[in-house]
Amino acid sequence: MKIRVYFVLLLFCVYPFISFAQEQKMSENEIVIFKQVVKEVSKKIKTLSTDFTQYKHLDFLSKDIESSGKMLFVAPSLLQWQYKKPYSYSIIFKSGKIMIDDEGKKSAIDVGNSKIFGKINKLIAGSVSGDMFDDKEFTISYFKNKTNTIAKFIPKDANLKKYIKQIELTFDKEDTTVIQVKLLESSEDYTRIVLKNKVLNAKIDESIFSK
Amino acid sequence: MQKLTNQYLVNSLFLLLIVSSCSTLNVVKGYNLVALEKDSFEVSYFSNPEMDYVYKANITVYGNELSGIFIAKKINDTTHRVVFTTEFGNKLLDFEISETEFKINSIVEELNRKMLISTLKSDFRLLLHNHYVVKEQYDNNVNKVFLSKEGKMNNYLFVSKSDNTLNKIVCSTKRKEKINLFITSENNIFAKKIIIQHYNIKLRIELNYLQTKLN
Repeated sequence: MKIRVYFVLLLFCVYPFISFAQEQKMSENEIVIFKQVVKEVSKKIKTLSTDFTQYKHLDFLSKDIESSGKMLFVAPSLLQWQYKKPYSYSIIFKSGKIMIDDEGKKSAIDVGNSKIFGKINKLIAGSVSGDMFDDKEFTISYFKNKTNTIAKFIPKDANLKKYIKQIELTFDKEDTTVIQVKLLESSEDYTRIVLKNKVLNAKIDESIFSK
Repeated sequence: MQKLTNQYLVNSLFLLLIVSSCSTLNVVKGYNLVALEKDSFEVSYFSNPEMDYVYKANITVYGNELSGIFIAKKINDTTHRVVFTTEFGNKLLDFEISETEFKINSIVEELNRKMLISTLKSDFRLLLHNHYVVKEQYDNNVNKVFLSKEGKMNNYLFVSKSDNTLNKIVCSTKRKEKINLFITSENNIFAKKIIIQHYNIKLRIELNYLQTKLN
């Protein structure tokens, strides 16, 4: 009995190190190669469509708030997020404008003059294609585990930092495309978006973005 | 002459009293004042500490439309935590509210306006209020109305006789209705839809309950 208790205790003590060990810092050389591959892959992305599930985690809630939908991206910067469940809401980012369709109610925001919205827009578009390795804008660190590569971005802009403390992009090791975006507001509260059923370079009717 | 003036003053005051008491009763026009059946009223819509109350929020303020997610949770006996986020999940406003306390945990610059905060504070204090002391009771064929007084404000709680659910709260001064809160509920346990309609400012908040676990 005593042995079993010790074993359980040992497991609890060792477990954090096991999970920590799963995520390793990448070497300088690995980072250079990884960035180059991402750049090449994102250059080849002309269009991208994917399903997504969004998990909003707030520490005081008993469970995450889930929503899901479809995302369409046309290079370099046309982007549509379309939530289908549990509500119908779509947001289009197009040449300095944000167009919103909220359950049929349409509105547009001109973000041309708003630096912060412009940055968030660029950031979301960049995160989807994976190409946002701008050292001027972010302090970036790179990690790897068995199946994925994880890039962590800390905004340098104090204004942006108020909204987003850190962004984590998880890349599939096989095809170096983004499979998860995690936007951290604080250490306890974050939004995790999992991308699934990705289709690259299929024809997307651009009239969707003018609706 | 002095006597006449005094008489005139008394009459005016009496008239004013009648007018103001009539307007008080405008909220419950056509209702009969009846004996109190209870001296307090409990509202259960946001009272379960184990439940996450999550709503899609649509706000119309002076013709402008805003939308997002409204989240409320009872975190202890007296306090609710309330968070507004965008659909993307970015937090816009995060505060803790009780009968006597109000603490902002975080707020984006664009919303950090004194008047807006004070309006939201009174709206959500009314919405999340669990316990009302009943001073008067009114009745008609459709509803029972319980009147509760909070300082200068009167809160009229309309309870449907057919299903015994609280479906409207009217918050008014002696002369004017300030806020109407319309509630569509399920089994009196939680509110499926809430509309907060202001009359002194052009503000309307609509909350629709969200099923937050998919599949």
